[in-house]
Amino acid sequence: MNWRNETVFVTGATGFIGGRVCERMMQAGLPKVRALVHGMHRAARIARLPIELCPGDLLERESLRQALGEAKVVIHCGLGPASGIVRGTENMLAVAHAAGVKRFIHVSTAAIYGITPPPGSESEDAPLRRTGDAYCDNKAAAEKVVLKYGERGLPVVILRPSIVWGPYSAWNTRLMDDLREGRVALIAGGHGACNTTYVDNLIDAMALGLENDRALNQAFFITDGERVSWGDFIRAHMALMEPMPEVGEISRAEIEASRGRSSGLLLGSVKAAARVARSKEFRQMLMQVPLTEAAMKRAWNWVSALPPEKRERLRARFGVRRAVAKSANAKFIPDAVTEGTQSTTVFFSIEKARKVLGYEPRVRFADGMKLVEQWLRYAAYL
Amino acid sequence: MTEPFRLAILGCGAITRSEHIPAVSAHPGVQLVALVDTDLPRAKALIRNRGLSCRAVADYREVLGQVDAVVNALPNHLHVSSNMDCLRAGVHVLCEKPLAITAAEARTCTEFAEEKKLVLAVGMNRRFAASHPLLKLIIEEGQLGSIQNYDFQYGGAFDWRSASGFYFDRAKAGGGALLDFGVHMLDSVIDWFGPVSGFDYQDDDWGSGIETNLFLDLKHAGRFGEIPGHLQISRTFGLKNRLLVRGAAASAEISVRDPEVVVIHRVIGGAPVSQTLQLENFSGGSSYWRQLDNFVQSIANRGKPEVDGWQAVRVLELIESCYAHKRRIAEPWTEIGAEIRAEARR
Repeated sequence: MNWRNETVFVTGATGFIGGRVCERMMQAGLPKVRALVHGMHRAARIARLPIELCPGDLLERESLRQALGEAKVVIHCGLGPASGIVRGTENMLAVAHAAGVKRFIHVSTAAIYGITPPPGSESEDAPLRRTGDAYCDNKAAAEKVVLKYGERGLPVVILRPSIVWGPYSAWNTRLMDDLREGRVALIAGGHGACNTTYVDNLIDAMALGLENDRALNQAFFITDGERVSWGDFIRAHMALMEPMPEVGEISRAEIEASRGRSSGLLLGSVKAAARVARSKEFRQMLMQVPLTEAAMKRAWNWVSALPPEKRERLRARFGVRRAVAKSANAKFIPDAVTEGTQSTTVFFSIEKARKVLGYEPRVRFADGMKLVEQWLRYAAYL
Repeated sequence: MTEPFRLAILGCGAITRSEHIPAVSAHPGVQLVALVDTDLPRAKALIRNRGLSCRAVADYREVLGQVDAVVNALPNHLHVSSNMDCLRAGVHVLCEKPLAITAAEARTCTEFAEEKKLVLAVGMNRRFAASHPLLKLIIEEGQLGSIQNYDFQYGGAFDWRSASGFYFDRAKAGGGALLDFGVHMLDSVIDWFGPVSGFDYQDDDWGSGIETNLFLDLKHAGRFGEIPGHLQISRTFGLKNRLLVRGAAASAEISVRDPEVVVIHRVIGGAPVSQTLQLENFSGGSSYWRQLDNFVQSIANRGKPEVDGWQAVRVLELIESCYAHKRRIAEPWTEIGAEIRAEARR
């Protein structure tokens, strides 16, 4: 379809990916972009664009109907609250279906195969299993709902990016903060597969998903198509810093050994959830003042279903110490989510995206790093 | 002691909750008689939650015969009409910044207040942080030597939970980060360094009129000669969040985090040293309390408030000039999107 004269509706528009989608839609010369905004205070980045900020909540179907307006193209980057990933996606699908939306791009994630995707999950037809991680499992369940609506006639395309990086990405900014504070280690030599997905490459894939009818009802891994390791990713950031920080190596056995002695990730996460739940900010969010057990539980569910980088950001924001301390020889010990994320050996294949979508990553890792460096300077990280 | 002034607060949004109610409640010179909000349940809930004994009113015009003064904390685009209604009814006004969204409207309000011989004060709470008058003394007394330049940065992920969310609507907010927060910084630097004689302004507005990031280079021509300054504001990322004034003999720093003190940096025998200065005998309370106190004293003494309408007019005129002559900040990392557009045209 030709989407360049359509009104496009973007969910998750106040986030990193959705924000860049809005910018790119403006740059593509689209006549009208409508952005779903749940928390208006988070809209600073997109408020500078001549787009429509539409208040709404993925969990309130009626609000979505109003926010969608006359748009016939939906790019669904939104997550909503933890437990609501599936319900929010279903609400958006139902509203889009009823409104006769002509294309629905669902931004899924390669993490449906888990924090540490096991060997064998390189291609899209690999079977899905429950991973035990709320974010991963909810995103996997959301895909099923998307396909269900696809069968009902809503033209859907599913994209599964992996480590989406670029200006404003927490993968980049958090790494810079962590490097500065000595909270980075090269896990198992840094050989883990990073599966970088430069944000503009992902958006190119979205545009292809809008144009290409052969893509309907299918899911595609989207990455930069380069075998960038976590060591490569971390070292590229180290090289930007003056003086260059020192980063030690740590084996998974060492991490395991130290974890036996520490309180572990789970306790740390529960503590984090409690701290978050007690915070004024979170209570404002829930609009409830007394801290009940139910609220605590909700907070825990909420935190545990966030994507890993968001969990980390929360942890940093609320000053919750990481669950693991330094080991006896004072090495930095990464937490379990970081360890899991950086331990996969799987490089997702983009062959299907190449063949069916016509996708070819335009931004190579080295070029993306140059853009990120320029932005990091602008954003006062360097 | 005379009777306290009867006061109403217009607007029950974020700033009223966090600052104006505590300040008004703690000031013996005023008696809060009404909270006004078109969302009446919001006003009522606030009265209940804070244990206040005042009325909740949906339309401020209902209270005009019954109050001596108002704190106007309505969204920006409503400031002028409500200020004019209050002044017309003989009510003194402390108006949240910006006084208006255009300099012309601010001028109209200011002239009208003068004509009616009423106090029109503008909410510039930063003026009432102890560091503001202290830095003024330090500069005037030549403690830094001749002033070379200054660098003023303020930035962080925007997180202002306004009840109405008006700040991202150009028609209601009147502008972006420069109008919203820049008014404070410009008000301060004009007060310290004198009138602005030249500027160069860049922001990242892509067409909505709501800039998120901005750079502003200024030149002041005041009694200390020509002083160049650099101002940066961001609503997306953290900056140094401080003012640094560089003088020939020493530098002075005010941190946004601790606006009650001024830190002096100098070099003694090749060693950099710093010294924290603070004013003794500076009255307590929050900057909002001091601002309210200044308003109350101005009404009682028929005097001029610390920040009057004319100062707001000067700042708004400068902001309008900036907007009229703005250049777009270069964002090369976004240009990959422009390439696609070129491809589409081919």
